[in-house]
Amino acid sequence: MSGPAEPDAALVLSDVRKRYGTVRAVDGISLRVRRGEFFGVLGPNGAGKTTLIEIMEGLRVADSGAVSVLGHPPVPRDVALLPRLGVQTQKSAFFARLTAREHLETVARLYGVPAARAADHGLALVGLTEHADRRVEKLSGGQRQRLAIASALAHEPELIFLDEPTAALDPQARRDLWRVLRELKGAGRTIVYTTHHLDEAEALCDRVAIVVAGRVVALDTPVNLVGGAGLPTRVLVPEDRITPERAAGIDGVDRVSVSGGAVVLETMATARVLSALDDLIGLAGVQTRTADLEDVYLRLTGAEA
Amino acid sequence: MRGYGALTGAGIRAAGRDLTTVFFTFAFPLVFLVVFGVIFSGQRVEETGRGYIDYIAPGVLSWGVANAAVFGVAFTLMQWRNDDILRLIRMTPTPLLSVLASRYALAVVMGLLQTLLFVGVALLPFLGLRLAGSWPLLIPLLLLAIVAFLAIGMIVGSVANTPEGVAAVANCVMLPMAFVSGSFFPVDMMPPWLAAISRALPLRYLNDGAAASLAGRGDLTEVAVAAAALGGFSLLFAAVALRVFRWSNDT
Repeated sequence: MSGPAEPDAALVLSDVRKRYGTVRAVDGISLRVRRGEFFGVLGPNGAGKTTLIEIMEGLRVADSGAVSVLGHPPVPRDVALLPRLGVQTQKSAFFARLTAREHLETVARLYGVPAARAADHGLALVGLTEHADRRVEKLSGGQRQRLAIASALAHEPELIFLDEPTAALDPQARRDLWRVLRELKGAGRTIVYTTHHLDEAEALCDRVAIVVAGRVVALDTPVNLVGGAGLPTRVLVPEDRITPERAAGIDGVDRVSVSGGAVVLETMATARVLSALDDLIGLAGVQTRTADLEDVYLRLTGAEA
Repeated sequence: MRGYGALTGAGIRAAGRDLTTVFFTFAFPLVFLVVFGVIFSGQRVEETGRGYIDYIAPGVLSWGVANAAVFGVAFTLMQWRNDDILRLIRMTPTPLLSVLASRYALAVVMGLLQTLLFVGVALLPFLGLRLAGSWPLLIPLLLLAIVAFLAIGMIVGSVANTPEGVAAVANCVMLPMAFVSGSFFPVDMMPPWLAAISRALPLRYLNDGAAASLAGRGDLTEVAVAAAALGGFSLLFAAVALRVFRWSNDT
């Protein structure tokens, strides 16, 4: 069943549950992804992210709850819905002993789209044109991952699922993929993806859901999550400019520590503390670090040191 | 049929780039043929007075084609499931029928090439097979038999999750079946109860049909019975295969 009619929703999940034995992999998740939205799913390993994505894709069946994908249930297998979805799984799947180009052509033909054009376009998109004639078995980890992403995009799907697409990529390839993903979003595609790179989620996602132990513990825009978390700003003053004792005496400073050659002042009142510092020692060499998504994430997942 | 051409093409390329496997698929039954041919060289089967080769060639050929069909599809299916290739296909609009049809096409190409080579060798003077006029009937019989054995391979490839599992299950099915069905020595030499059991095995009918069409051991009725039985086995095994088929190792 597909729940209430929501024409602008790409995905609607209501109270979705899935258990493996006694483990509640997905424990009552409800969420809604708009069309054209870039939606991130974050969470520690084993939090249920992949299971959740696979339930959306129709590769796993939820024990209970309703899932609607582009207005249709993802199971049973619906060959009218499938061409509108693009799926990259964590394990890269390639046809044995084919070249990168042949693999992409095969995938394109499975979708019934013109193979040569899809292969050329896909290879160029992920920067594999030079390696087009290399056998899939001979590709490096990062190249395999890029080929898997190109496979997921071969048929120009509306809704794209990517499970840790940047996991094996070097920084340059990761930035190249960001560009590709931003272009896809610019072209109106909906993207749902999982990642362990918090900076990436902050840079790319319209909204993120943080999943812990099968539940959504936070769901908002990265800006709201960071702003609403009530995390302190850190003001870094070079060690030779101020003593920790003196810093602790400044009005508005909650905590002081010393780290990496700097006295670190934690505060919820950044402007007041900076103003006081300016009066005391001047602001030369002083840096401020506001909390980012990673701080929020670590706090919510209970992994903060 | 969407995806059929793509999967068949990918399969042909994969096979063409793994010639070791292709070579030994062809060589395996030939080795048996030559070994049996040498062991029983010059011996005549009493009742017919014909050469032993006329018994052994259709039997070993039947077993070879059946074996290649079972192992080929079983390994592919298991490997595709482990490598997530089946999940990839599952997410495309390609129907399962296209997947099966492409594997059938590959098995038929392999089976017919195998047969051509095998019969060619069996006709060599030192083995001395004499071809009966009804030999072309072997072709439709093989096309039917490959459906039945492909379905057995699908079942094996769905039940087993590792290469070792596929080898263990497929060998356990195919080797006893080969002996009981009379692929390597005539069923007449077996105790009657064992010969009766052989009637429940698809390879028995392929052996009989192949012997009748290729070597003229038996008449056209024999070929018709074999075809009917293989058709029945095909339906039965295909129904089971579709029931046990899985797109992925976990659900």
